[in-house]
Amino acid sequence: MNVLNHRGIIFFSLLLLLVSFDVFSAEGGPCKDYGECDAFKPQLNNTESLQRGASVYLNYCYGCHSLQYSRWGRVAKDLKIPDEIFFQNLVFDDSIKAGDLMKGSMSKDESALWFGVAPPDLTLVSRYKGDDWIYSYLRAYYEDSSKQYGVNNLVYPGTAMPNVLLSLQGKQKLVCKDAPLLASNGREQRDDMGNTIYKNKCGFLEVEEGTGKLNKTEFDQLIYDITNFLVYVGEPAKAERERIGWYVIFYFLIFTAISAMLYREYQKDYH
Amino acid sequence: MSQMISSVFTWVNKRLPIANTFERHLSKHPVPKKVNFWYLFGALASVALIIQIVSGIWLIMPYENTEEGAFASVEYIMRDVDYGWVIRYMHTTGASLFFAVVYLHMFRGLLYGSYQKPKELVWIFGCTIYLAMMAEGFLGYVLPYGQMSYWGAQVIISLFGAIPYIGESLELWVRGDYYISGITVSRFFALHVVALPLVLIALVFLHLVALHEVGAGNPEGVDIEEHLDEDGVPLDSVPFYPYKVLNALVGIGVFMTVFAIIMFFFPEGGGYFIEMANFEEANPLVTPEHIAPVWYYSPYYTMLRAVPDPLGGLIVMASAVAIFFVVPWLDQSKVASIRYKGIYSKIAIALFGISFLTLGYLGTVSVTEVRKTVSIICTILYFSFFLLMPIYTSLEKTKVVPTRL
Repeated sequence: MNVLNHRGIIFFSLLLLLVSFDVFSAEGGPCKDYGECDAFKPQLNNTESLQRGASVYLNYCYGCHSLQYSRWGRVAKDLKIPDEIFFQNLVFDDSIKAGDLMKGSMSKDESALWFGVAPPDLTLVSRYKGDDWIYSYLRAYYEDSSKQYGVNNLVYPGTAMPNVLLSLQGKQKLVCKDAPLLASNGREQRDDMGNTIYKNKCGFLEVEEGTGKLNKTEFDQLIYDITNFLVYVGEPAKAERERIGWYVIFYFLIFTAISAMLYREYQKDYH
Repeated sequence: MSQMISSVFTWVNKRLPIANTFERHLSKHPVPKKVNFWYLFGALASVALIIQIVSGIWLIMPYENTEEGAFASVEYIMRDVDYGWVIRYMHTTGASLFFAVVYLHMFRGLLYGSYQKPKELVWIFGCTIYLAMMAEGFLGYVLPYGQMSYWGAQVIISLFGAIPYIGESLELWVRGDYYISGITVSRFFALHVVALPLVLIALVFLHLVALHEVGAGNPEGVDIEEHLDEDGVPLDSVPFYPYKVLNALVGIGVFMTVFAIIMFFFPEGGGYFIEMANFEEANPLVTPEHIAPVWYYSPYYTMLRAVPDPLGGLIVMASAVAIFFVVPWLDQSKVASIRYKGIYSKIAIALFGISFLTLGYLGTVSVTEVRKTVSIICTILYFSFFLLMPIYTSLEKTKVVPTRL
């Protein structure tokens, strides 16, 4: 190979790199103005979190958002809530039986009239929107007097849903503040004297102190629990699926090992 | 007791060639003694087919083929049917892995010239199986009636509309309605669970009968039929049972481990096996943000998008699949295996592989100017592999193939 050829290869690789940079560049994220969605890691074996999530959901969300593919009794059973407690405290209609679907109580036509769109059923929201999205969305409301309900959302700009959890979270506002300027490598930029350079930036969410019943940690936990519950409702068999999965994989690993040994033994016949 | 069984067996065997067929096609069938892992994907494809048929039968039982009931019945399977989720994930994971092993099986064919004389018919039956699978997969994808089922079907069915003169009436005939509806779902259901599986099974049968007639190949491209022992059995062969069976069993073990990992821990396959938008019920009024087919169609989808004119796109896409059928006559090489072919063939197949994967990736993301250019280049590379094959295979210098395996 001569030098020219090497140069050609280098040139070609650089070109390929440049093109692939564009080809593989990230798409616009699902969390819109919020930027990257906050990562959510569900804990489907954390029964207490799921119970709290179910309780908040049924008190604050279920009035508008049905869970039409899920059944009352299944939720009580999976979340280890005794039937009497569950049906006395969380089910607000005496005619409901354990085997009934959680179809909601609001008529689709009326609610469409009130909100502009009918509130969607949320049984599978964790599967088509993703848990990261829900966790970010519910924490991204801010005061915006130009909107119908006085609030807007960074994750879902122009959302039709009012901030139902406002009394818990408090008034969250979009504020501008001085933030360290970041260099392209992600580090803070410094001036010649070594001081961090600050720049006034907007788009930060900040809760006005004393306006909500919960502090930030408590509120984040509450949203965590709701999201966790929605992940469960999205696929009630998920925890069991992962539990059984280990046994199945273990079985096939043994199966592979034994057949490999047997194969090697028989291979001696013709090698 | 054992005497009775053997006499019953003798009685049946005199009227039905069980023992003979079993020996000829299974237990004593001679296979090349030295093959590599590429030769496992045929067996794995048949395992995948069986998984699809069995899980499919169980899915039919609770599934409802109506516009109102389809989506809800899938959720019913996932929640209320005992272990319904196992059956459903088996079917969705199985579909993707069936395509994965078939793609690898086809690539094996291209690598080692498994289409060369006298295996042309084996290859053609195989290509037809692939074609039937593509139809089967598409029809099945519509059945859960999620957003991607609906809009994917919308895109694919509208392709028929691009055909001149008969397009529009053909589109209507396929859909059975002026828009996709319960009528479409129920006819797709009939085709997916009865018509195409019958076709597939018949084709697999023909594929295997033709293969057993001409004998399986090997990575060296050596014709083992040329050196036979006194009984007429190739010297470089071993009987199918137990040798090939054990070999396949190891492959099946690895395959099933991968299958289980996906099925139990990543059933959505990161949105490539079950697309996120398909967890939302079909809604004719809301178009999803971007419509992407499942990964196994995406190379062709990219080609479709690369051509600005719908009819042109359709022709390019159809030719991309159809061109596989004529490969036996495009390859002019004197040797079968890539090991003995020249440098042109090696470069050509590498570029083909890269362009196919790139096209596949591009089909899953949105279009930009650069991506569009890359997809046009890859489409050209894809076709060049086939169309230039008569030239580069006859020009290049090949190595000498050994006579024994």
